[in-house]
Amino acid sequence: MTTRAEFMGRVRGEMAKTRGLFPAAPAERPARPRERLEVLRRELSERWPQTLERFRTEFERVAGVFHRVASAAEVADTIARIGRERGATSVVTWPPAELGVDLSSRLATAGMSVEAMPRAVPADVERRRLRETIARADLGVTGADLAIAETGTLVLRAAAGRPRSTSLLPPCHVAVFDRTVLLESLEQVGLALEAWHEGPRSENEGAVINFITGPSRTADIELTLTRGVHGPKEVHAIFVDGGLPVTGRA
Amino acid sequence: MSEPLVTTPLRERVHDALGDRFLHEALDIATTKFIGLRREAFGDFPEGERLRDRARAIKEATLQHLDEHLERLIENIERLGGHVHFATTADEARDIILDIARRTGARMAVKSKSMATEEIHLNDALAAAGVTPVETDLGEYIIQLAHERPSHIIAPAIHKTKGQVAELFARELKREVAADPEVLTRIARAELRQKFLDADLGITGANFAVAETGTVVLVTNEGNGRMVTSLPRVHVAVMGVEKVIPSMTDLMVFLSVLAKSATGQKLSVYTTLVQGPRRPGELEGPEEFHLVLLDNGRIKQIAGTLREALYCLRCGACLNVCPVYRQIGGHAYGYTYPGPIGILLTAMLNGPRSVKELSHASSLCGACADACPVRIDIPRMLIELRKEVDERRIAPWAERVTFKGLGWLLRRPALYRLGAPIARLLQRPFLRGGRIRSLPLFFGDWTRTRDLPPVAHRTFQERWADLERETS
Repeated sequence: MTTRAEFMGRVRGEMAKTRGLFPAAPAERPARPRERLEVLRRELSERWPQTLERFRTEFERVAGVFHRVASAAEVADTIARIGRERGATSVVTWPPAELGVDLSSRLATAGMSVEAMPRAVPADVERRRLRETIARADLGVTGADLAIAETGTLVLRAAAGRPRSTSLLPPCHVAVFDRTVLLESLEQVGLALEAWHEGPRSENEGAVINFITGPSRTADIELTLTRGVHGPKEVHAIFVDGGLPVTGRA
Repeated sequence: MSEPLVTTPLRERVHDALGDRFLHEALDIATTKFIGLRREAFGDFPEGERLRDRARAIKEATLQHLDEHLERLIENIERLGGHVHFATTADEARDIILDIARRTGARMAVKSKSMATEEIHLNDALAAAGVTPVETDLGEYIIQLAHERPSHIIAPAIHKTKGQVAELFARELKREVAADPEVLTRIARAELRQKFLDADLGITGANFAVAETGTVVLVTNEGNGRMVTSLPRVHVAVMGVEKVIPSMTDLMVFLSVLAKSATGQKLSVYTTLVQGPRRPGELEGPEEFHLVLLDNGRIKQIAGTLREALYCLRCGACLNVCPVYRQIGGHAYGYTYPGPIGILLTAMLNGPRSVKELSHASSLCGACADACPVRIDIPRMLIELRKEVDERRIAPWAERVTFKGLGWLLRRPALYRLGAPIARLLQRPFLRGGRIRSLPLFFGDWTRTRDLPPVAHRTFQERWADLERETS
């Protein structure tokens, strides 16, 4: 077996033979990205309606379904309607404290069972049961850590209470967000990613960040576009004008 | 040598491909569509050209400090609780993965599409070791059921009709299946969903690895990359050393051009950033994370003629625009990586002997370099390879002698001028209707599929000389 020392030795050996290369530099990384991100967010808060409009256009272009409600109190109604239209009976969701909305009573009246994901990791038996529940659920409800206008993309960071598969296994994914997570461009996302990785990690952080740009798709058979091959067939985004009572996301 | 040398000559493979009418039609539709989508995506994106320059500069800058970036990547992954392995050859990479499979008692491995695992022929090795490999990208799944190999880097099953796919599924599932992409996709979803949930091992490639954060990045449209990295208890990522990039800021530059070049999307549906194994607070995710760093001929090219090929993002844009690929498709190339970049990668992996013929499977028109998101000068390296094939006496002696003779002649204008009347004499027996339609010996290879224009009754030089006499 090749050891790290041998392997890296060979890399260095070959590098030493290179001569007269043209000067090249990686992208310049922002200094103090957390501060810069805060400044950017303040700037963006002044022009969020345009950003939202661009997000909406791009999100719909990738076959996302966009909803807009006045306040957090209306979110459960919208989700109940989405569920009813699809004959949904089971819903998995981020816990109310992470989502900013409590769905359980409203969805229960609509005849849907709601399972909120736990923030503490349960024992293995319970973990297996939850996995089955997520895999069988008709609707997966999540928040979003970023919404990128340039591409119509939702960015979700896995964490305690925010398991990876809530936005993956159910055939329909609903994400709830507000103006605080809107960014204009992929370049700005670079700043957010730098900021998220600055300094020590929090206890609750997960190991995965997912960019989601519309429903799962394939064109592998005769280039015919087909949706919902492994991930959700539908992705909905609910924008809350009045904001969500969740702070300190990024 | 990582792959056995192909035994049927390129000429026969090409002949078979050219005779396959369906393949031709499928290739034509697919590549034309991809070209259009790519053009549209960049048309709507004025900063695209600048970002391509940035992306190229980042790749080069990373290579200039490759050791530092790799060390940082390794440190970060280990700090996060992941393991890094070092594979000099394809054999070694397979052994490392089989070892992980054995140690963790794995019985089934789900895979998301990865050219690196194709390159090391992992599936056969897994199967032989009692681990069932399951390809989960729809195209790869079809190819696996058919016991074939991918014919395009990003659309592995473009050479198959929906009817052929329906027959395949019917045979596997032992029931009637409609030849409808929607139905076929639904069937694959159901079949593979259970496998995702049951598998012990998730195997992926990597589109990028960010050194600064220890993050492996996967780009998919179907969501299988997410499944494979979330559900099994062990995740193994296999990655060529050249895929490392310095920072998240750099990553966003690449993401801005990758999907546009590949499929004309602004972003692929899923971009998954994986940072080591499951964290303590997480409900799901693998307990173990392994990164296999693959050399397999790459490291030697840091100072080699194919250095620039190490920039490649595997987007497939150069395949779509290549007039040769568009005629013969991926299989005729005979190795894992098809198309213009594939010839270079084949030489990188298997040595120049493997591209003795393939290095000529290009018209050097430059469309590949124009389409490449990082502007790799593929034609330049193809010429270098041809030179190497000649200098190392890998090319057939007749070819070498002919070209050497021609080269000698071309450098002697006086002799060359004398050559014209001689050639006019020699070509006489082969002229049919004003064209040379067939030649003897190995020269016949050239006239097999095309005619050679004869040396003109009066050459340009002769006419020029006349003209000068008249005007003076």
